[in-house]
Amino acid sequence: MHHAHIDKFAYQDSPIHRLDSRVKFIVLLVFTALVISLPRTSLSILACYAVGPFTILVLGKIPLRFAFKQILLVSPFVLVLALSCPLYDKTPVTVAFGPFVWQSTVGWLRCFTIIGKFTITMLALIALVSTTRFNNLLTGLQWLGLPKVLIIQLGFLYRYIFVLIDRAHHILRARAGRKLRSLGFKRELKTASAMLGSLFIRSIDTAEHINIAMQARGFDGNWRCLSKLQIRQCDLLFAFIATFFMLGLHLLVRPVLQ
Amino acid sequence: MPKAIEIDSFSYEYPDGTSALSEITLSIKHGQKVALLGPNGAGKSTLLLAMAGFIKGTGKVLIDALQINRKNLKKIRTCLGCCLENPDDQLFMPTLFDDVAFGPLNMGLSAEQVKQRVAEALETVGLAEMADKAPHHLSASQKRAAAIATILSMAPKIITLDEPDGSLDPRNRNNLIKLLRGLPQTLIIATCNMNFAAALAERAVLLDKGRIVADGDAKKIMSDSQLMTEHGLEVPGAIRE
Repeated sequence: MHHAHIDKFAYQDSPIHRLDSRVKFIVLLVFTALVISLPRTSLSILACYAVGPFTILVLGKIPLRFAFKQILLVSPFVLVLALSCPLYDKTPVTVAFGPFVWQSTVGWLRCFTIIGKFTITMLALIALVSTTRFNNLLTGLQWLGLPKVLIIQLGFLYRYIFVLIDRAHHILRARAGRKLRSLGFKRELKTASAMLGSLFIRSIDTAEHINIAMQARGFDGNWRCLSKLQIRQCDLLFAFIATFFMLGLHLLVRPVLQ
Repeated sequence: MPKAIEIDSFSYEYPDGTSALSEITLSIKHGQKVALLGPNGAGKSTLLLAMAGFIKGTGKVLIDALQINRKNLKKIRTCLGCCLENPDDQLFMPTLFDDVAFGPLNMGLSAEQVKQRVAEALETVGLAEMADKAPHHLSASQKRAAAIATILSMAPKIITLDEPDGSLDPRNRNNLIKLLRGLPQTLIIATCNMNFAAALAERAVLLDKGRIVADGDAKKIMSDSQLMTEHGLEVPGAIRE
């Protein structure tokens, strides 16, 4: 079965794809920290920060439509949080944007700031995942000191989430093929719990088989991997440009706009 | 020269007390291609697990003259590579390269040796161009070939394969037969696909209800229609003609 993988563009080739995963990850971390630390009245600065991930997405040939679709998928929780702000903070505030001046509330400002920060950091995250192969990302994270157990867990999660989704689809199809009428809430719930149970037992089976496959190939608890990462001049150039961009916004633009 | 596999009166019971294998006695020479035949639930997969030291029963199991015990387990698993029924269980790393390199790295080979082994194994199964692909981007036949490559990279003397022809179309099944025929290793193939077994094996071991029912020349056993029918199997088309 074919899935709309979140990393489906990670196998393309572009200058961004060729960058070292460690450099990209560190830049993402710093960028996210800076965006999150912006004060709630900094909507105009947020717009400036958005230039970064947009540039990466465009240079990495990642369709913006794909990026926004992914953001929409994870947005409900943040949207509920953001839209609740105007309800509890109605302090009036005057907002000025160029020649336009209007009255609003702190709640609405906070709401737009949350949505803006979420969108921009998600864009940056999607830019990283869509331009970096997952194995390179894992190798990079391991190099950066993330515990090995976590790396192994992430590797397995990435490898088997699609197998699990396939199995869930098969079970749902089998149910749809035999469910010819509405069963009522209670029986639907009973069926759903049986399906979840079946999925769980099959997952345990799979885990046992994977354990056998690993031991059969000499696994003794130590995770060994050949690192193929290499810092080159273009990585240093990217790091320099990213630092210049973020530092510039942080030190120069922020005081002017505030 | 020691035998590749030497099993003497091996029995195994599942934790609930059901007998899975009873009094199995089997001897396989190096270089032989053996088909383990039997209906579903005959004990074929359990016997393969016993050969790789994954289950403990009563009796003796020697792999290349090494008795299966904790001390010898690492040597045995370098000598005997086992390929599981479902390639998705066999391919657990994020990329094909990492998966094929997993075994050689655990053997303690140097980075250069590992790279060479991976390249050779992928070349043998015809997946040299796919090294950087994630396993979930491979087709069923490519996954099967990749699973075999993960074993070949460890250069074992013996390879056990559990239902390797499962979910393969005829063309890919023929490709797999060609690949397995060309391997110099001792092959033990558990299958209930008689045509697949007939195309590969020179010797057949028929298992049913955990016991060896027949052992000998593959063509002779597989052409015995009464024996085949009695044990839920069939005479392969190639032999019938």
